[in-house]
Amino acid sequence: MEESKSFDWSTDLKEVPVREWKDRFVWVEEPYVSQDGETIASIVNVEEAVFTVCENGKTWDSEYEKAWCLRPIPDGQFAACVSSDEEWTVSISGNEWENRFDFIWNFQMNHDGTHISLAVQKDSEYGMVVNDDPWDRMYENINEMVLSDTGNSAAVVQVSSMAAADIEAFKQGVFSCAVNGKAIEKNFLNIWDISFDTSGENVAYGVRTDRTSYSIAVNDSPWDTSFQSVWKPLFLPGDTSVIAPVKTGGKWMLYKDNQPFWKTPYNQLWKLAISPETGKIAAIVSNDFGKWTVAENDVSWDLSIDQMIFDIVYSADGSTLVAVFKDKECWTLAVNQKKWDLAADKVFDPCVSPDGSIVCVVIEKKGQYFLVVNNHIIPTGFDFMTTPVISPDSTKILQKAVKNGVYQRQILSLDKIL
Amino acid sequence: MNAFIAFIMGPMVWIAFLIFILGLIFKLVVIIKDVNARESYVYSYLSVKYSLRSIFAWLIPFFPQSTRQSPVFYAISYIFHLLLFIVPVFLMSHIVLVNEAFQLSWFALDDTLADILTVIVVLALVFFAVRRQTVPEVKYLTSFNDYVLLIIVALPFITGFLAYHQFFFYRQMVIAHVISGELVLILIPFSKFSHMVMAPLTRAYMGSEFGNVRHAKDW
Amino acid sequence: MPKETTTEDVPIVKQKNTDEAVEAGLARLTPERIKTTINQVLENETGPKFKAYVETCMHCGLCAEACLYFLSNDRDPSYSPAGKVKQTIWEMLEKKGDVSTDFLRRAVHIAHTECNVCKRCSMYCPFGIDIAYLMLMVRRICHKLEITPLYIQDTVNSHSATMNQMWVKEDEWIDTLQWQEEDAREEFENLRIPLDKVGADIMYSVIAPEPKFQAGLIYQAATIMHAAGIDWTMPSSPGWDNSNMAMFTGDNEISGRIARAFYETAARLKVKRIVMGECGHAFRSIYDVGNRWVGWAMPPFEVVHAIEFYHQLLTSGRITIADKYKKTVTLHDPCNVSRGRGLHDMAREVTNMVCDSFIEMTPNREHNYCCGAGGGVINCGPPYKGERMINNRVKAEQLKATGAEVLIAPCHNCHSGLEDIVHHYDLNMEVKFLGDIIFETMEKKIFNPGD
Ligand code: HEM
Ligand code: HEM
Ligand code: SF4
Ligand code: SF4
Ligand code: SF4
Repeated sequence: MEESKSFDWSTDLKEVPVREWKDRFVWVEEPYVSQDGETIASIVNVEEAVFTVCENGKTWDSEYEKAWCLRPIPDGQFAACVSSDEEWTVSISGNEWENRFDFIWNFQMNHDGTHISLAVQKDSEYGMVVNDDPWDRMYENINEMVLSDTGNSAAVVQVSSMAAADIEAFKQGVFSCAVNGKAIEKNFLNIWDISFDTSGENVAYGVRTDRTSYSIAVNDSPWDTSFQSVWKPLFLPGDTSVIAPVKTGGKWMLYKDNQPFWKTPYNQLWKLAISPETGKIAAIVSNDFGKWTVAENDVSWDLSIDQMIFDIVYSADGSTLVAVFKDKECWTLAVNQKKWDLAADKVFDPCVSPDGSIVCVVIEKKGQYFLVVNNHIIPTGFDFMTTPVISPDSTKILQKAVKNGVYQRQILSLDKIL
Repeated sequence: MNAFIAFIMGPMVWIAFLIFILGLIFKLVVIIKDVNARESYVYSYLSVKYSLRSIFAWLIPFFPQSTRQSPVFYAISYIFHLLLFIVPVFLMSHIVLVNEAFQLSWFALDDTLADILTVIVVLALVFFAVRRQTVPEVKYLTSFNDYVLLIIVALPFITGFLAYHQFFFYRQMVIAHVISGELVLILIPFSKFSHMVMAPLTRAYMGSEFGNVRHAKDW
Repeated sequence: MPKETTTEDVPIVKQKNTDEAVEAGLARLTPERIKTTINQVLENETGPKFKAYVETCMHCGLCAEACLYFLSNDRDPSYSPAGKVKQTIWEMLEKKGDVSTDFLRRAVHIAHTECNVCKRCSMYCPFGIDIAYLMLMVRRICHKLEITPLYIQDTVNSHSATMNQMWVKEDEWIDTLQWQEEDAREEFENLRIPLDKVGADIMYSVIAPEPKFQAGLIYQAATIMHAAGIDWTMPSSPGWDNSNMAMFTGDNEISGRIARAFYETAARLKVKRIVMGECGHAFRSIYDVGNRWVGWAMPPFEVVHAIEFYHQLLTSGRITIADKYKKTVTLHDPCNVSRGRGLHDMAREVTNMVCDSFIEMTPNREHNYCCGAGGGVINCGPPYKGERMINNRVKAEQLKATGAEVLIAPCHNCHSGLEDIVHHYDLNMEVKFLGDIIFETMEKKIFNPGD
């Protein structure tokens, strides 16, 4: 998240009409709102095969044959993947990157927006580009791209050729993890789920070493133990220790540096979350088949979810853990074990204040969007709403919503709504 | 010898019934424990409604498609299984024995009818045996054990019949009958005859998977 | 005393095909590895269900009548469902895993190419014994022994590396969608295939052969979505492919990974429902199989197969048919959505809504015969194609008896399998998806709730 201190927290309401865009353009695609809420933008079609981006009613100076993947970036700007003359590049509010590719995709940005990465293909070779700086070496294929907070990039690359249906070559291992374009000299049958450490210097990832053996590798060396399966590993914050869910003896366990870490064997254990502040570790787990809960430091929440827990997030201070899940056909949240009373059709990404006192989230119910703050639904429905921002002092919420063809940037005072 | 006969006709009958009943209960308990320990996911799909739906559908004669495709076999198997229970339970000689021991009695089959039904059971078993010899897909699956099973079921019926008619060796025949009857009872929980309790379970599971998950019939 | 027949006594009647992967795998095996692997799977990976199926089977042979392989091969008992168990599982149990590579060669062949895991036999066995489950257990053993047939193993390799079945690269996927979107605009102005639209109502998902070989189907689907005024999206990231060959090779670990990637994609896009194209096995993978391995008892999202989706669109008037299809049609019930999901009546209703003259083939609905391609059989590829044709003679006879000009097969696998059969038996039928006919007959106008 960008520094929200500089945002305008004092103007109650700013409006931008968007309905008329529909008359100005052949079609208008999904809207995206800048982080500071000042700008709403959409990819628009001007005429056959002519696209641009409309920001608060003003179009970019450049037009493109194709455009997709519009994303807000810091300073109220937007980036999109654009193409002209069959060449693709990134355009930042109308200013293209220098490098051109045959295709680009998988837009990623680090937390403060100083680094932007994409996967690229040029002349049927694959790599990544970070801030307009492509990898020196390109590969036959690329998957599982990641960007570290420090701007390092990594991905699974295919380092040697494989003929069609050549399962013998596959068996030898043709995939490697490449960091900033340089493949680590260790191949595997498969590599998944690359994680960077805080420094962005080390990588950990899940590997398959033969048909039925899985392990975790850190940089170029896999753990000695092989498992029945593994999920995404994580580095402990500011540390080179790695934790990972591994399946052994038919059960999922949390391991740390190749040693059992949590004691409890689970039916399922995945999606780790770590609080850098408190060092607490949480995971989505299942103790009984078909029933889900959250475990924090190996202690399960007193909550049983029958469908899916999609995500868990800690507040910056680690005091609050929020889970987004679907139970009995409805989406809702739980904050520190306590289930909210929502019964939503969709729940978007929650927003948690640094001290954990405020949790707010956008939901959709019967086609209308609502803002929910601390389990309290604000009754005004909107046609569209995107992730809100909580003010640095946790007293206000910046709501970004569209109603009746008008985009509204509203500052809601928490003492009024709660 | 008399002590042996007394044992066979006395305590052993008790023992046989106990093993039969407790054996079946034991079998059920082991399965449930095993399911809890290793396959508890089964409960996520089991549904009383769809279990019963499937079991009942399969109890109705000639309702499932499969029974219509092999009508003769199913008819015979159906009659065989019914008589397997009806004949011994409603047999006058058996009721008399129960009555002597417990002063209990209930409806009894006419002796001649019981006699005829016994012959039918034996003929059904002969049919099963012949079928195992002649129908290629059954023959392919048949092993020695399958005939042993048929013989084991046939024995109490044959010996009971012979004893009733007192053709020869009456006394020995009664003893043989009681032993073979006890054998069947004891074997039910520990042999393929345990399908008596397994059938409702496997049916319930498949019925639930079909009804609950697949939204389809399983008959 | 009747002699017990064992597989050793059964002469190898026909020389069965294998392939290089099977042979190379067999050559690498040692007796110890065979034994420990089989026992490991049978002891650690099975439970009371497996035990019940083995113990309860009365060897009555009633399941034989159910199986297309048995019926198509002049009632050869070695093709009967329980017969296949006898030649595989029973013997492995009896020999305590101490089996030969010749035995395994035959076991791979049976489990992978002589059973569609279609579960028809479970409806014919009075106990409801799940032979398909037992055959999948054999495949699991073959997977662990690395003797899985070549072509299907390659699709599993692809799944594991790319999360799709056909080595479709990530850029190829997106590029294909954009290309179909552009093409479809020629017919329908302003049509879009919205990528990664977070909060759309529907995520539309397909199997990898669509972008690879049949991109036109994506075009058709986009047209139908557009005309029906649906708020939909497709993911630009892996997780778009709902197919899953790993579940058919017993590679449960990869199968679960595929299912997880799929559902997490839907969750990331915050959709309400997932609609999928006309594919039976893909439906089974996300609805019934892949989800279970990771621990979702039922799919965490509502999964709507194309048949049900078309039914909703047609009955709600979102799609209107301009002129019903004239040729005589018959309908193949894909096992995985009829016996697997009970959509057979809806499929008939849809057919009747879009076609003038519909002829039933018998048996039908839950009792349909599998196309013979399903369960990963067609995916074992060319070495086995000839057998596959012989092994489904009954389907050919059944099709022929309808006399229909067009055969509707709302499943990708069935589609390819039936095309092969139609060709091999000179049936002179056109094989079509329901979507093909809807696309052909629908009014190309955008649904307007006021109309
Ligand atoms: C376990 C203890 C059993 C005892 C003590 C017992 C005793 C007897 C006796 C005393 C008779 C009469 C013989 C006569 O008329 O002189 C009889 C007949 C018979 N029993 Fe049992 N029985 C036993 C178990 C069974 C079982 C398990 C079955 C069948 C599964 C069976 C089937 C029959 C039949 C079919 C007849 C006579 C049939 C006919 O009248 O033709 N019995 N039994
Ligand atoms: C109420 C419980 C029972 C049920 C639901 C049941 C069901 C079945 C079924 C479904 C079959 C397979 C095919 C068929 O014949 O239909 C079968 C076969 C058989 N059952 Fe039962 N059974 C029961 C009890 C018993 C008992 C108590 C015995 C013997 C003591 C028995 C002896 C047999 C035999 C010998 C066969 C094999 C027939 C053959 O050789 O083809 N059954 N049973
Ligand atoms: S599952 Fe289908 S193909 Fe396999 S044995 Fe049963 S009926 Fe035959
Ligand atoms: S019908 Fe069932 S019990 Fe009979 S042989 Fe087949 S699997 Fe076994
Ligand atoms: S391909 Fe079609 S008919 Fe064949 S198993 Fe799959 S769904 Fe069934």
